[in-house]
Amino acid sequence: MTSDDEVALRVRALESLLLEKGLVEAPAIDEIIDLFENRLGPQNGARVVARAWSDPAFKDRLLSNPTDAIVELGFEAVQGEDMVVVENTAAVHNIVVCTLCSCFPWATMGLPPVWYKSAPYRARAASDPRGVLVEFGTNIAAEAEVRVWDSNAELRYMVLPERPAGTDGMSEDELMALVTRDSMIGVTRALDVGGEVAP
Amino acid sequence: MSRVITQEVARGLYKATRTAHVDADVAASFKVGDAIQARNVNPTGHTRLPRYIRGKQGVVAADHGIFQFADSLAHGGGKQPQHLYSVKFTAQELWGADAPAQDSLYIDLWDDYLEKMA
Amino acid sequence: MNGIHDLGGMHGLGPIVREENEPTFHDEWEGKALALARIGLAGGHFNLDEFRHAMEKIPPVEYLSISYYERWLEGTIAMLVEKGVLDAGEIEARMKDLS
Repeated sequence: MTSDDEVALRVRALESLLLEKGLVEAPAIDEIIDLFENRLGPQNGARVVARAWSDPAFKDRLLSNPTDAIVELGFEAVQGEDMVVVENTAAVHNIVVCTLCSCFPWATMGLPPVWYKSAPYRARAASDPRGVLVEFGTNIAAEAEVRVWDSNAELRYMVLPERPAGTDGMSEDELMALVTRDSMIGVTRALDVGGEVAP
Repeated sequence: MSRVITQEVARGLYKATRTAHVDADVAASFKVGDAIQARNVNPTGHTRLPRYIRGKQGVVAADHGIFQFADSLAHGGGKQPQHLYSVKFTAQELWGADAPAQDSLYIDLWDDYLEKMA
Repeated sequence: MNGIHDLGGMHGLGPIVREENEPTFHDEWEGKALALARIGLAGGHFNLDEFRHAMEKIPPVEYLSISYYERWLEGTIAMLVEKGVLDAGEIEARMKDLS
């Protein structure tokens, strides 16, 4: 394994060569980093989910034509060109993985967390999703159906988590706070009204 | 065709512009509900057909439309536009009788990955 | 290719390690590595499928032991060398100049 210092030096070498060869102008590099750190992220997906929980007509559009429904909220972004949204219910629990690499809906969720890209998750989410869910503290009824979505091609998958109980009077902004990145991957549920991860 | 990435171009990278969807007129070899078998192939180049799917039997759950073909584009072979399907496999078909009977896995497979069940 | 990247169904890779409040990037170089890969892609020097294949060709032991953005970095360098944007050894020479 290379040390972090050596990798950082290798990145600097590549950066200086690309600048020198005129492939990129220096401010563009910071612009791209800013895009991933600040503009893309799970807050976008949380907005989509909270809207779907609040507005049944939007939810219908989100499930039937997800790409356009997400664009409606302003998230017409890279790695969201062809979206699929799958709905979790008491009877069906969906979970998303990319077994071959790290495909992820950047438009609604930003870059994936390290565990999503890690070998153990990619290996076992496909073959033992129930075991993985237990590892994440999520209990799925034995009689429920678990559906794994291996996003191996260019469609990008997002889970619409179940709306937590006791949230009837909550505003869209309040609901947003209950939607976590993990719940949109399907490894956990949305937070309960107390803000805790629901088992 | 290459272009210089200026700050202006970088700002535009937020936008969704790189869809793999292709506007072409290509017939679909399969339709929703068809029983299929994933081909058992072992290409030495790039493929998006994972080993655990090869040779397995499933059912076409949806037709996503026509997409460029990753296996070809990875090797300078052009887009080879073709239908891409969401295919459902039961967990038992993939992992054996010990897997829960009601569980399933969906994966996106191009026309070239599939053959009809006899 | 029947490579190490094709992980679905493998056993023995250990627990799934999660991190509380994970930052987008753990170090400045990670964000830069991602940005430089995006520049190669958006600049039209290589496509996403070629890039994925370049990462798949990283030898298995190395693939599993280096971090995610190191794979991106190595994939980007391999592509740029393959496409003739960089000469083989140019990175190492520049590293020497910069250190």
